[in-house]
Amino acid sequence: MNITLLLSDIYWVFWREIKKFAQQKARLLMVVVQPLVWLVLMGNAMSGLTRNPAAAQMLGTGNYLDFMTPGIMIMTALFGGVFGGITIVWDRRTGYLNKMLAAPIYRAAIPLGKLMSIGLQTMLQALIIVIIALFLGVHFKTGFFGVVALLVISGIFGIIMGGISLSLSSRIKSMETLMAVSNFLTMPLMFTSNAMFPTNAMPVWLKDIALANPVSYAVHAMRTISTQGWIWTDIWPALIALSGIMLLIVALAIRLFSRSVN
Amino acid sequence: MRTIIEAHGLTKVYPGGIVAVNNVSFSVNEGEIFGFLGPNGAGKSTTIAMLTTLISPTKGMATINGIDITRHAYQARLELGFVSQDLAVEDALTGYDNLRLQAGFYHIPRAEAQIRIAEVLKMVDLTARAKDKAETYSGGMRKRLDIACGLIHRPRILFLDEPTLGLDIQTRREIWKYINTLREEIKMTIFLTTHYMDEADSLCDRVAIIDRGIIKTLDTPTALKEALKNEIEQPTLDDVFLHHTGKEMREDVSTKEAAFKSRMIMRRARG
Repeated sequence: MNITLLLSDIYWVFWREIKKFAQQKARLLMVVVQPLVWLVLMGNAMSGLTRNPAAAQMLGTGNYLDFMTPGIMIMTALFGGVFGGITIVWDRRTGYLNKMLAAPIYRAAIPLGKLMSIGLQTMLQALIIVIIALFLGVHFKTGFFGVVALLVISGIFGIIMGGISLSLSSRIKSMETLMAVSNFLTMPLMFTSNAMFPTNAMPVWLKDIALANPVSYAVHAMRTISTQGWIWTDIWPALIALSGIMLLIVALAIRLFSRSVN
Repeated sequence: MRTIIEAHGLTKVYPGGIVAVNNVSFSVNEGEIFGFLGPNGAGKSTTIAMLTTLISPTKGMATINGIDITRHAYQARLELGFVSQDLAVEDALTGYDNLRLQAGFYHIPRAEAQIRIAEVLKMVDLTARAKDKAETYSGGMRKRLDIACGLIHRPRILFLDEPTLGLDIQTRREIWKYINTLREEIKMTIFLTTHYMDEADSLCDRVAIIDRGIIKTLDTPTALKEALKNEIEQPTLDDVFLHHTGKEMREDVSTKEAAFKSRMIMRRARG
């Protein structure tokens, strides 16, 4: 394997995705509007919680938006990433996939390039959320480096969801089915996590599920960084688990994709 | 004359036991336009998919400029350009960016890519529209852009799968003009599939008629017509085609995805 050529192939697949993303004005607008709506709407709707001392204690912070911001970042990463596989189904339908496959490019470069673009898009979305949150008075306890860490965790999470979606798209050739399966995955992942409600406020059975849910690892680490500080005993395990899951899923996506085009 | 494509006993059996291409052998000479004709589902696209390394043959072998397509697929890809029937250009990108991307896939250095992009744009008369997004192009322009993409790495052989599918007669003639230019100016070998007989007649040096995965006949259009002289007065290539493939209509056995894809090609062709 020639690493330079592999990197070049990944770069061009990535370039295509990013260029397309940048061309779609409506999509760019949604990147800004969606988190804005979430933060303003959810923040207002739920701020009553923090006036209740017991609830405030469960949230671990006096401001619901402080609690909510990492949740919104992961939610955006989740929804952004989970539709990543659709680009493969689309490429298959338009014939662009065959065009790439007839060129001398490494098969692995196709899923890798797409995942990198999903990672970057997720980080960009997370950055926009941070900016909006700052305007809304959210306080990030660990400052600049904390924000960088939040972006990186969001990116990793986006890649995980994108990898799941790409793996599915190697088997599922119809766009409608893929959308349905993706939706089926996202909702339970979201609502059995600590993204919007503190685990302390959950019934025991749900709490157990929430603790095993990878969404919760990511949110927990991010929430610790943004509201508590650099508490490494809370951050490291989540980071290691997330990175491990990411590597496994990326490997699976490459394998399933390469098999599907042979 | 030198042989540039050779196929020996090429066979493709799809899962479920459908034999799409059955023990097909032929050779294509350097610099010729070779036509592959056949009714729907005859095995044309499957043969092209094997020759362009998109799928691997179940049995048999083929070489592209002497390179084995199964054992050295990567090298074979450098020798061939592939323009599918899908009008597979990236609509959200400009014509220029489509070509830049294609040059990237073929690892052409930046400065060299710029020269070649200008060159192929000129060849297909798209220089003036290069900075516009492909979604603003007509069907014929998209096809020309797609052909330009297939030429960026200066392949020895260009595969054109149904190059005029879904295009109106004016646009079809325009595409023929570009195909002829390729042969005359850069002596490119062209392998094309079509089910338009007039297209094969006016473009191809030799044609092979394939049906149900088997090559029924292979010769120059003139010789094929000559052979029917005893049966029909002034036979056309249509007569030759019907003579070899029969008159019965073909039931299109197709999946939902394939049906969707063919509808989409038609829509994109209309621009």
